[in-house]
Amino acid sequence: MKFITIDKKNWAKGIEKSRETYRLFGPVKDKNGSFIRDLENDMLPDMSCHDSVLSVKSVLFPQTEKILFTTLDESKEDHHIMKRVPADTRQRAVVGIQPYDAKAIQLVNLNFDTDDYRDPYWCDAYEATTFVGVGINKPGPFDFSTSAGTGPFSETGLDVLMADLDNAYLAKVLTDKGGAFMVSCGFDTIADEKESRALFDILRKEAEKNISSQIDTGKLKDKTVLELHEAPFWDDIAFSCINCGTCTFVCPTCWCFDIQDEAKQKSAGRFRNWDTCMSPLFTKHATGHNPRDSKTQRVRQRFMHKLKYFLDKYDQGIMCVGCGRCVKSCPVNIDIREVCKIMNSYEKKE
Amino acid sequence: MDTCIQKIREIAFQLLDKKEVERVIGFSNGTIPMATSPITIASKQDTEKLVFNSTCGLNLANYIRQQKGKIAVIAKGCDSRNIVTHIIENQVKRDQIYIIGVPCKGMINKSKIKALFEDDILKFDEDGDTLTVESSSKKETLSKKEYLRDNCRLCQHKNPVIYDILAGDPVKEQVLDVPYPDVEKIAALDADARWIHFQELTKNCIRCYACRNACPLCYCPTCFVDESGPQWVGKGQDKTDVNTFHFLRAFHCAGRCTDCGACVEACPMDINVRDFTRKLNKDAFDMFGWEAGLDQTKRPPLDAYSPDDPNDFIK
Amino acid sequence: MGNLLEHMGIERDRIHFSWISSAEATKFVDVVKEISNKVRALGPNKKLVKDYN
Repeated sequence: MKFITIDKKNWAKGIEKSRETYRLFGPVKDKNGSFIRDLENDMLPDMSCHDSVLSVKSVLFPQTEKILFTTLDESKEDHHIMKRVPADTRQRAVVGIQPYDAKAIQLVNLNFDTDDYRDPYWCDAYEATTFVGVGINKPGPFDFSTSAGTGPFSETGLDVLMADLDNAYLAKVLTDKGGAFMVSCGFDTIADEKESRALFDILRKEAEKNISSQIDTGKLKDKTVLELHEAPFWDDIAFSCINCGTCTFVCPTCWCFDIQDEAKQKSAGRFRNWDTCMSPLFTKHATGHNPRDSKTQRVRQRFMHKLKYFLDKYDQGIMCVGCGRCVKSCPVNIDIREVCKIMNSYEKKE
Repeated sequence: MDTCIQKIREIAFQLLDKKEVERVIGFSNGTIPMATSPITIASKQDTEKLVFNSTCGLNLANYIRQQKGKIAVIAKGCDSRNIVTHIIENQVKRDQIYIIGVPCKGMINKSKIKALFEDDILKFDEDGDTLTVESSSKKETLSKKEYLRDNCRLCQHKNPVIYDILAGDPVKEQVLDVPYPDVEKIAALDADARWIHFQELTKNCIRCYACRNACPLCYCPTCFVDESGPQWVGKGQDKTDVNTFHFLRAFHCAGRCTDCGACVEACPMDINVRDFTRKLNKDAFDMFGWEAGLDQTKRPPLDAYSPDDPNDFIK
Repeated sequence: MGNLLEHMGIERDRIHFSWISSAEATKFVDVVKEISNKVRALGPNKKLVKDYN
C-alpha cells in the first residue's frame, strides 16, 4: 500500500497534467447544486463537495446514451442492421467523489457484469474509469453510510482514497489503476506508511463519530418476502408519494433503464435512458395490463428491491449505501431510513 | 400560524369523531428540517400528527381525486382555487370534500434559505415572522417576509376562496399594480436572450416529472410525454425534448394554473418552472380577465367560446 | 400557444394560425405564400430543433 502527499499548491498543475492521459470528471458547483460533470479545460473538481445531486453513476451510465445506430437508406447494403456506437475507450478519471459512491458502483456491477451476461456499455465504461474519492471529514445529517455497509472513508470500489488535510491531500493508493493516475499527475512524494495509516484511521474514526443517522437492517434477512410484501403499512408509506422518479434518479445504486428507438430521415439510433420503477409506464405491458398499476405497489417495489430482494439475491447487504440523496431530494419527504425501520421491526400479527 | 394548527387539529378531531368525514388529508412533520409530508388520517387519535407551518408548500388538492367517501382537506388560498378547478373539471364533487381553509401567510423559499449555508441545515424553527435556522457551522435568524417563495410574494389570494370552515382569521390581501413583474422582465429581453434564459432554466432537468406529478392540474391518465402510440416527444435528455415537455405541460395548464408553486417546491433541481406557467397566467389575465379557480360557476377561457374572444392571431 | 413560444424566444413570424375552408383555395395559397416568405426572411430555425447525434 502506497501513500502519497500532495501539496495543494501543486494540485491544479497535477490535475492539468493528467489530462494528457485521462478525460476528467468531477463535482462542479452550479446554481442548482453540485453535479458530476465532464471537466473541460481548466475546470477543477470541487474537492469540498460532498453532496452532488446526482451520483457518479451518471459518468458510467449516462441518463441518455446512444448505444446502437443504423441507416434506413435501403440502397445501402447494411440498412436496418444495428451497429454499436464505438465505445469511448479513452481512460477517464472521476476525481473528488464521495467514497460510498464507489461502493455503489460495485453494487451496480453485480447487475451489469454477471457470469451470464456482461452489459458491454457499462463494463467498457467501468474498465476505462479510475475512481478517486475524497474522505468526508464532516458527514452531514443525511449521511447514514456507516449503517449501510460503507462509510465516509470507505475504500470499496475506489482506486485512490484521498484525505483532505488543510494544506495538503494525503492519497492512499488502493489499486494499480489508482497508482497509474497518480503517476500521470506527477504526484510522487511518498508519505510514511505507518504514520499515514494512523492518520487515516484517526480521520475515519472522527468522521464516523459525526454520523448521527443510523438504520437497522439486522432483521430484514430473516423475514420472508411474502410477510413484508403483504404487510399492512405500505398504503401509509405510499400515500404522500407523487410517483416522480427523483429518488431513483439521484440514487447511486438504481440501475433500471428503458430502450428507445428514434429516427430522423435516413438515420436511426437506439438509446437507453434511465427509467424509474415509480412510473406506471415502467411495468405497463403491450396488452395494456399493468402488474404494478397502483402507487402503493410501485413504492413497495422500490423499497422491497433495495432492502429485501437485493439482500436475498446477492447476500451482499442492502442495495443502498446510505448517501441520503433520496432523503434530501424527495419532494414529499419519504425517508428510506423510516421505511427501513418499519420493515425491519415489522412482526406479522397472527 | 401556530394557533391555526390547534384549530386544524380540533376541527379534524371533531370531523372524525362525528364521522362526518372518513379521512382528513393534511401535513405531518417531516423527518428532516424544513420538510413536511402529506398525510391521510382516519382516526381521531392521529390528529395530533397534523401540522401546518410555512414549509407546507405542496398542494393538497393533488391528493383529493379518486378518494372514496367524504374526505376533509386542508387548503391554503391557492389549494382552494385548485379545488374549485377540480370541481369545474368534474374531478371531485363539492359535497364530497370538506374544506378546512387556512388563511395563508406565505410559504418559505427553502432553496433560498439553504443557499445561505455551506453545510446542511440541522434545525429550523419559526415563530411568527421570525425564522431560526441552524447548521453545524452557524445560526441565522431570518425574517420570513424576506424568504417567501416568489409565488407567495406575488400572491393576491391568500385566503381560501371556498371552504366549509376557516382555521384562522382571514389575512389582508395585497393588490399588486404589477402582478407579473417576473414575466415582464423576461419579455423585455430580445428573442435570443429569452431563448437562452429558457435553455439555462431547463439545463439541469432530469425529467423526473416531479413538477408534473406535484401539480393538481396534471391528472391526465396518460401524460403526453408517456404516450407511446403515437409517441409525441422523445424520452431522453435531448434538450429539445426536455423543453418540449416543459412548454407543452405549461400550455396544458393555461387558464387553470393557480400559481401555487408546488411544481417548483417539488423540483429536485430547483428549476423555476413557473417561468413557463406564469406567462400563460398573465395572458389569461390580460386577454380574458381570468384568474383560475375563483368561481365555480364560470367556465375557464379555454373551455368556452365567446364571440368576444381575442382572435387577431388568426389570419 | 403562439405567445408562449414567442416568450420562449421563438420568432413570432414562425408561428401562424389560420382558418381556411376547403372551398378557399386562393386563401390557402395566399396564406402559405405569406408564411413561406416570412419564414424565408428569418432563415433556418435552430431553436427547438432536435440535434440528432
